Amino acid sequence: MSISEFLKDLPCHNEQNFSLFNTENGIRTSLRRPSVYIPTLDIPSEQIIVTEKKNILLRYLHQQWDKKNPVKKREHPPNTDNGDGPARKRSRLDGSST
Amino acid sequence: MSHHYIITAQKPTAVTACVTGNFTSSTDLNLIIAKNSRLEIYLVTPEGLRSLKEVGINGKIAVMKHFRPANEQKDRLFVLTQRYNAMILECGTIDDNIEIFTKAHGNVADRVGKPAETGILAVIDPKARVIGMRLYEGLFKIIPLDSDTNELKATTLRMEEMLVQDVEFLHGTQHPTLIVIHQDVNGRHIKTHEINMRDKEFMKIAWKQDNVETEATMIIPVPSPLGGAIIIGMESIIYHDGISYTAVAPSIIKQSTINCYARVDSKGSRYLLGNMSGHLFMLFLETRENSKGAPCVKDLKVELLGETSIPECITYLDNGVLFIGSRHGDSQLVKLNKNVNENGSYVVPMETFTNLGPIMDICVVDLERQGQGQIITCSGSFKEGSLRIIRNGIGIQEHACIDLPGIKGMWALKVGIEDSPFENTLVLAFVGHTRILTLTGEEVEETEIPGFLNEQQTFYCGNVDFGQIIQVTPLTARLVQGENRALISEWKPPNNRRIGVVACNFTQLVCASASDVYYIEIKDGELKQISHTTLAYEVACLDISVLDYKETRSDMVAVGLWTDISACVLRLPTLETLTIEKLGGEIIPRSILMTCFEGINYLLCALGDGSMFYFSLNGADGTLSEKKKVTLGTQPTILKTFRSLSTTNVFACSDRPTVIYSSNHKLVFSNVNLKEVNHMCSLNASAYQDSLALATKNSVILGTIDEIQKLHIRTVPLGEAPRRIAYQESSQTFGVITLRTDIQDSAGLIPSRSSASTQTQNVTSSSVGSLPKPGAGTSASTAEFGQEVEIHNLLIIDQNTFEVLHAHQFMQTEYALSLMSAKLGDDPNTYYIVGTAFVYPEEADPKVGRIIIYHYSEGKLQQVAEKEIKGACYSLVEFNGKVLASINSTVRLFEWTSDKDLRLECSHFNNIIALYVKTKGDFILVGDLMRSITLLQHKQMEGSFEEISRDYEPKWMTAVEILDDDTFLGAENSLNLFVCQKDSAATTDEERQQMPEVAQYHLGDFVNVFRHGSLVMQNVGERTTPTHGCVLYGTVSGAIGLVTQIPNDFYEFLRSLEERLTHTIKTVGKIEHCFWRSYCTDMKTETSEGFIDGDLIESFLDLNRSKMIDTVSGLEIDVGGTKREATVDDVIKIVEDLTRIH
Repeated sequence: MSISEFLKDLPCHNEQNFSLFNTENGIRTSLRRPSVYIPTLDIPSEQIIVTEKKNILLRYLHQQWDKKNPVKKREHPPNTDNGDGPARKRSRLDGSST
Repeated sequence: MSHHYIITAQKPTAVTACVTGNFTSSTDLNLIIAKNSRLEIYLVTPEGLRSLKEVGINGKIAVMKHFRPANEQKDRLFVLTQRYNAMILECGTIDDNIEIFTKAHGNVADRVGKPAETGILAVIDPKARVIGMRLYEGLFKIIPLDSDTNELKATTLRMEEMLVQDVEFLHGTQHPTLIVIHQDVNGRHIKTHEINMRDKEFMKIAWKQDNVETEATMIIPVPSPLGGAIIIGMESIIYHDGISYTAVAPSIIKQSTINCYARVDSKGSRYLLGNMSGHLFMLFLETRENSKGAPCVKDLKVELLGETSIPECITYLDNGVLFIGSRHGDSQLVKLNKNVNENGSYVVPMETFTNLGPIMDICVVDLERQGQGQIITCSGSFKEGSLRIIRNGIGIQEHACIDLPGIKGMWALKVGIEDSPFENTLVLAFVGHTRILTLTGEEVEETEIPGFLNEQQTFYCGNVDFGQIIQVTPLTARLVQGENRALISEWKPPNNRRIGVVACNFTQLVCASASDVYYIEIKDGELKQISHTTLAYEVACLDISVLDYKETRSDMVAVGLWTDISACVLRLPTLETLTIEKLGGEIIPRSILMTCFEGINYLLCALGDGSMFYFSLNGADGTLSEKKKVTLGTQPTILKTFRSLSTTNVFACSDRPTVIYSSNHKLVFSNVNLKEVNHMCSLNASAYQDSLALATKNSVILGTIDEIQKLHIRTVPLGEAPRRIAYQESSQTFGVITLRTDIQDSAGLIPSRSSASTQTQNVTSSSVGSLPKPGAGTSASTAEFGQEVEIHNLLIIDQNTFEVLHAHQFMQTEYALSLMSAKLGDDPNTYYIVGTAFVYPEEADPKVGRIIIYHYSEGKLQQVAEKEIKGACYSLVEFNGKVLASINSTVRLFEWTSDKDLRLECSHFNNIIALYVKTKGDFILVGDLMRSITLLQHKQMEGSFEEISRDYEPKWMTAVEILDDDTFLGAENSLNLFVCQKDSAATTDEERQQMPEVAQYHLGDFVNVFRHGSLVMQNVGERTTPTHGCVLYGTVSGAIGLVTQIPNDFYEFLRSLEERLTHTIKTVGKIEHCFWRSYCTDMKTETSEGFIDGDLIESFLDLNRSKMIDTVSGLEIDVGGTKREATVDDVIKIVEDLTRIH
């Protein structure tokens, strides 16, 4: 296959694009800079990216615990449902014993 | 305390990332380019790229990617900064203005973690489900792109693969699936990881392939239906879809490393690959149907398309046009042609985008001795190496050029079209004759005006009252009727004397013959002499300009006289003398001009030596006051007024053409980027509107003039990488150290391409074995076949033509590291001095080097002396007629003896590697590889160095400079600047030995060089800002900026303005300004202090009036010792004045 065939049917978004590009004066050299955007409107961001602060080892142990004790979790919802406290205590015990 | 103002004069130019997508609307095709901390948004149009907006990000951009969320019509931009600020941006419009919406933002840094050795990597799942980031070794961070919540939770996963070379998301997978190239002791491997989005963990390894090529660097994920990925190595390209793989090892890719790609088709059958030699390849996936009828890859084809700039990133725009982003050289717009051109290339460059980066060294020279420096930079790497000549000035956009030598005067006329707004005729005066050109559209034709005297030199010509035209020659003043162009009236000086000088306006004419001055009024069909006077001396120049441009008559004549060298003002019509002002000196005035700038009248008087006096002129009584003098050029200067954008300007024609205008009631002198202009006139022809006609030595240029002065950059391509530059005035040359790549062949080393050092006529080389090399290795001198070898050269380059006059090649393993031009001791010669090191792979530090002294004169470069040194000479400075060198961990001073030999005088040892040395008086500032800066003093009597003080905080230095006797500026490799101050008044020795940091700032760019110097004319006109000194810096991203010292009260004022601006101006990506500028290293982060961010201050001028009012409200200003509330205009004036320091 020849290179010309390689270069056939290059993608086209709008066939007008670059059609009027002036190449008469050879290669253009430019150091142009667009006008600088100076935002003065305070538009709040829709979403905040928060990075999880929890240590990955702790998170892993939590997951392991949850996997091992899925039934228990359901049995005692008040303790483990949204309580990070008890969970953290258990992890710490696990962590210190290893 | 120490206070500084820092401002970018040239924003970064190196392109680090680019993307193409639909950003500004669902139908707009946009190109977005990342340059250090700035984004540029372009629109693809039929005419080419149209620039839309430049967006500043308060952080150095590490990764920029785009994605399209499900069910969206537009693409979004994901940006991750070097300091781990992540943001998702969307472009939109509010009232037809582009607005950037920060959809999401946050910092994804971890408190602990070892930054990934292979740099920050970030990728986005093709279905936009998740963003993945490789920030720290052993960890991988994901941001699930959940649109329903207002928190995007970034979660860290453990990734056991170390040394991740590249990472991508695969296409067409049920769960987001990563593919990584990682390295271990056995080599490089690829591995995939499926991400469980619910549990936020890696589920399983879908497939992997151990032991791919040992130099595999890049993954290209292939879209569905093929799926899988392409792995790019040094010698091979593999396609792998998890089940089978296809590999090719085309020989054309082996020469250099492929470092970027662009996908051409959305189906993923064609890819463009770019390598570090600037070769552009097309990779084609040939497919077949497998047994199940699904397409699969049959073969990989790679073809070389042609050469481009060394790419950093490539993106396919439209209709075969690509953007090649480069950080080693200029970026480019190129077109792929189906047919090969005469150079065997399918790639046709369309447009280049200037890039100064990486700036390795700069040298500031004032070749014209006008107090305005021009910068010559060592720019670009590898084949993109070049020198860039940068100077501040007003540009002329040349529209036409006519070859016509010897022009003595020029005027634009309307002939036969008096009611038209446009001029159609150009009258050109030569010695002894006059030629007339008619402009018809863009065509220029020679013509005649019957009433004109063509065999005489025209002194003046113009359209005057009553539709008439006037021509003044040495013999007569001739009035010509506009319609039939016939002579209707003529005036001659009495006794057939010759007219010496003349001035004319719309209704009045003054002629001088020796010391006689005649005043003539232009009537309907008549030139009527009104008065005559005889002055004390002969008239050298005259002017009768009308000060108020709405009027047609002047009440005064300005005269410059011979002999007593004076400027006079005479009253009209009586010609009585109002004022005589002696100019002093012996140079006669050559051009005098009355003009009005911003409602203030001035009298300008230019002399034969290129200097110019200017006065305030009282329009009522002709008195002159506030005499000032500037030097504009070195040749006789001719002053002409022109109006542009409804303001008055004066063009000073000379060997250094200058435009004089007024801003804030102060005169501003701006260089014009033309070599020489002898005459000029303004021209407003239909095809050349609001133009100027400029006569140079051999031609007439028709062109328009830029509105504002800016940096103009000229490129001198070298084809090899320049490292150091030094200017030598005595030989009118630049010395430049360059390095090129040669390839070991059976016949020896062959340059890989022709470049500056191989093309010049005069080549010499240091012979191998001229020096014993104790401790030096033996293996490296014989390179393996095909191995690339760095060859260092000293080039001698003409200061005017930039022609390479001589190339001296150093030995094969000898790296030239430092260069200076200096006079030594009592020796009258000026020498180029080069510091080198012999570099062998087995040595951790170079053990041997040389300091070599060359003399360039009469076109010959001669080695005068050489000194063997025990290490690498990283820097060289002239120090009181001696050679100061930093050699490995030492700083050494060498004396130049009478028998032309370098003799060691003293040394200082307390460093790890002394990389940079700067001096002032007896003081020496040393920048260390990792031990910050140290101040030494040379004790002349004892002949020794004394360590005065040191900054004890570890810092990896990249550049140092002495600001003043006590204040020292440093740049370090976490992209910070800092200032240390020595405390001479400290009471204890211990305190004196400490050099505490007094100012710190995060620049966000890697500074390679500091140099004292200025980009604008010094001591011209009035100094308006209380800035002190000026240090220029050049960076890896191609930025040039300057640091200047400011007094405390001004600092406090600007600090307060800066603080207010951080409230007025919102940030893209919501990174606070104080976070961005805070001094940040691995060890600490502290708020910026002692530096004012000039870039933020100057953005005040871009605010609209109401925002300006908001910003300054309550801001206090000190006027003559009393504080009052600042007005918007006060602040505009201060900030505008600050913009003039660069």
